[in-house]
Amino acid sequence: MSASTMTPSNRQSSSRAERQATLAGTGTVLRFMLRRDRIRSTAWVIGIGLLGFYFANAIQLVAEDEAELAELASLFTDPVGRLMTGPAFGMATPTYERFFSAGYVLFLYILIALMSVFTVVRHTRAEEQTGRAELMRSNVVGRHATLSATLILVVITNLGVGLLVLAGALAGDFAFEGSLLVAAAGVSTGLFFAGAAAVAVQLSESSRGSSAMAGGLVALAYVIRMGGDMAEQGGSALSWFSPLGWAQQTAPYVEDRWWPLALLLVFAVALTGIGFWLSTKRDLEASLMPTRMGRESARPSLGTPLGIAVKTLKGGLRGWGIALVICGLMFGAYAQALVDAADDLPEEFAMIFSGETMMLGYLAYMGLFMAIFVAAAGVGALTQLRGEEHRGRAEFGLSAPLSRTTWLRAHLAVLLGGLLTILLLVGLAMGAGAAAVLETDGGDYFFDLVVASLHQTPAVLAVVGIVTALFGWWPRTASPVGWTIVGYAAFMTNFGQILEVPDFFHELNIFGHLSQYPVEEVAWGPVVILTALGVGGIVLGLLGWNRREINRV
Amino acid sequence: MSETTPVIYTENLVKEFGTVRALDNLNLNIAPGEVHGYLGPNGAGKSTTMRVLLGLLRPDSGTVHIFGRDPWRDAVTLHTRLAYVPGDVELWPNLTGGEVIDMFLRLRGTYNKQRRDQLIERFDLDPRKKTRTYSKGNRQKVALISALAAETDLLLLDEPTAGLDPLMETVFQDVIHEAKTAGRSVLLSSHILAQVEALSDRVSIIRAGHIVESGTLSELRHMTRTTIEVATERSAQHIAGLSFVHNFRTESERSVFEVDGDHVQEVMNDLAGLGIHSIVAHPPTLEQLLMRHYGDDLSQRGVSPDTTKKVS
Repeated sequence: MSASTMTPSNRQSSSRAERQATLAGTGTVLRFMLRRDRIRSTAWVIGIGLLGFYFANAIQLVAEDEAELAELASLFTDPVGRLMTGPAFGMATPTYERFFSAGYVLFLYILIALMSVFTVVRHTRAEEQTGRAELMRSNVVGRHATLSATLILVVITNLGVGLLVLAGALAGDFAFEGSLLVAAAGVSTGLFFAGAAAVAVQLSESSRGSSAMAGGLVALAYVIRMGGDMAEQGGSALSWFSPLGWAQQTAPYVEDRWWPLALLLVFAVALTGIGFWLSTKRDLEASLMPTRMGRESARPSLGTPLGIAVKTLKGGLRGWGIALVICGLMFGAYAQALVDAADDLPEEFAMIFSGETMMLGYLAYMGLFMAIFVAAAGVGALTQLRGEEHRGRAEFGLSAPLSRTTWLRAHLAVLLGGLLTILLLVGLAMGAGAAAVLETDGGDYFFDLVVASLHQTPAVLAVVGIVTALFGWWPRTASPVGWTIVGYAAFMTNFGQILEVPDFFHELNIFGHLSQYPVEEVAWGPVVILTALGVGGIVLGLLGWNRREINRV
Repeated sequence: MSETTPVIYTENLVKEFGTVRALDNLNLNIAPGEVHGYLGPNGAGKSTTMRVLLGLLRPDSGTVHIFGRDPWRDAVTLHTRLAYVPGDVELWPNLTGGEVIDMFLRLRGTYNKQRRDQLIERFDLDPRKKTRTYSKGNRQKVALISALAAETDLLLLDEPTAGLDPLMETVFQDVIHEAKTAGRSVLLSSHILAQVEALSDRVSIIRAGHIVESGTLSELRHMTRTTIEVATERSAQHIAGLSFVHNFRTESERSVFEVDGDHVQEVMNDLAGLGIHSIVAHPPTLEQLLMRHYGDDLSQRGVSPDTTKKVS
């Protein structure tokens, strides 16, 4: 197809043909993706749909009538509640449907966003990274076919989730327009983040890097709206800098505003367009960020087991660390907004939350919330170790005179050292943020926040211990169980108080046992038990790893 | 340890993955200083053998010893004396080739920097590139250099040159010759028959987890046929009737046939009386050795053993 041989008249038609050619095979590729994803995507769609159904229908169980709802409304209207769940529209006269939209749908949006991000990354960058994309593209498959098919798949799954969420809300007897708006906001949010992921996969050479970039954007959107919504009921200007904020500003069942969705959709289209455009600016399997030449010979530290472990885990831990420290700074910096908002609260709430107790409750919550993410970093790193085994690098490394125990111990040492450092830095960041903005007593809170963060170490250690034990004995279960523990902890920490579930379910939450420092004194019982659980798990894991075969087929 | 202790010794080694018997009473012996070719089709158990020898997998029954020690129990001690090149090399994407080589050499203790640099130069590797940018061949070079630059007694090479070009293949053969001269033992699993022929003292052929043939190349050749191309004054047609002569063909005055290894003498006597204009005799190639063992395998799949027997 050399342009020089074309006459001007057929150049135009051939450029149209070229455009079509870049999409060649899209339908086939899409069918192939649907086949490969038939379980995974279905699970996502049904999972989110069921959660939506649960949210919409469980409220009736929590509060039997609207008078009870009114008592519970403060959960969402007080600044810490708004921080977690959103602008809390219509809570002056709460109804079940308003409760649903104020307190719960945000988490559906986040899950939809993550589903979209993972789907895009999995079908584009991950395919390129493994070389499967090359095989695919050697067939009659156009340059844009894969990304196009992926985005169609995302639209399909998003619409599926949207329909299920709508059905769940209608099953709760909620108003049709508001329910439709909730579902539409979910779909729009999913498309926005799919667009963001379509850009991210062009930028980074690895699927992990792409997921981190796009997933980080979801987290950033959440953190920004946290600050925005905490400052004022109904959200403040800051809320409008977050795509999740846009979805919530539709105020379903209260104002039923449709126009903020236009923001999401316009950005979704623009980001997708940028993604397509960037993909033409790079080679297959290449990234837009250039790769530099490295060192000709290794630093002396690399020739040790610890050196290998540092090299393997450094990237992931650094990524989590930076993200969490930034979050910590922001959370700390919201402290003054919390104090200001507390002053505006009606008399009766001020009685409960005013002054020190509310501030301390906020600090305790922050320490806990961040620690769950630190535990997530730990699970991520252990998943990575399983990957090292799976990809044969552990095998190659162990062909050197390096015992299994040394190998795993070195990696765990680096991991635990890294997690402890992150906890400390997050505490310092939260403290620094709070001290910088608070007009009074900033210095005291600084110390409280550092201790609150470090106080969570035993819980993080326990998660690492459990996952390590599984890694040693039943490696396949390690990662799923680990993520479930973390997800469950996040869920119970945020919703545990509202849900009327037996104590047993609270006991299962590893992060539900430590005392709420600084509201309460440090209780040493849970500290000792969780530490023992962590250390015991690590010892068990080392024993199992020493006994089991490496990368058995 | 006495000189006669085999470097690798396995007796009735069995390894099962569920219902699949990956190693089925495997008997493999390698003497000190020996380069041992290890041949077999995909899935025959070559890589499983390597991974049992490295102590990464635990055998279900049978004996396995390296330098007289159990590789599962004494993995670390043994690994100071051996180096391994995996068949499908995955490297740490954020390290450069040079860093990976150094990492491995340092884990083994002291090493000769000069030898490392020399090997990097001979294999024409750019050690400053991140390994994620390397092709399969370059990743293999990294593994090869880190194994060869170490001063070990045993090299376990699992299809080490599958991604290398012919030029690098030559370098590889030179380097293995040097290793052999230095008294190192090598277990070389390979698909490249010419390479095994050129390098190996002894060869074992593995099939479905079992060693079906083992010995020096000349021992194995006894069991196969020599190809003879001869141009004679008088017709050699009557040779075709002999029981130890196979695939007899004539093209004008040239006759081409195969003769069983232990009957070459008789055929030569016979031919001498016919007035030989020219004669070419090919020793059996490893290809022919292999075809004898996999012949039925292939014929099941509709490939005639003869079609691949053509000698170049």
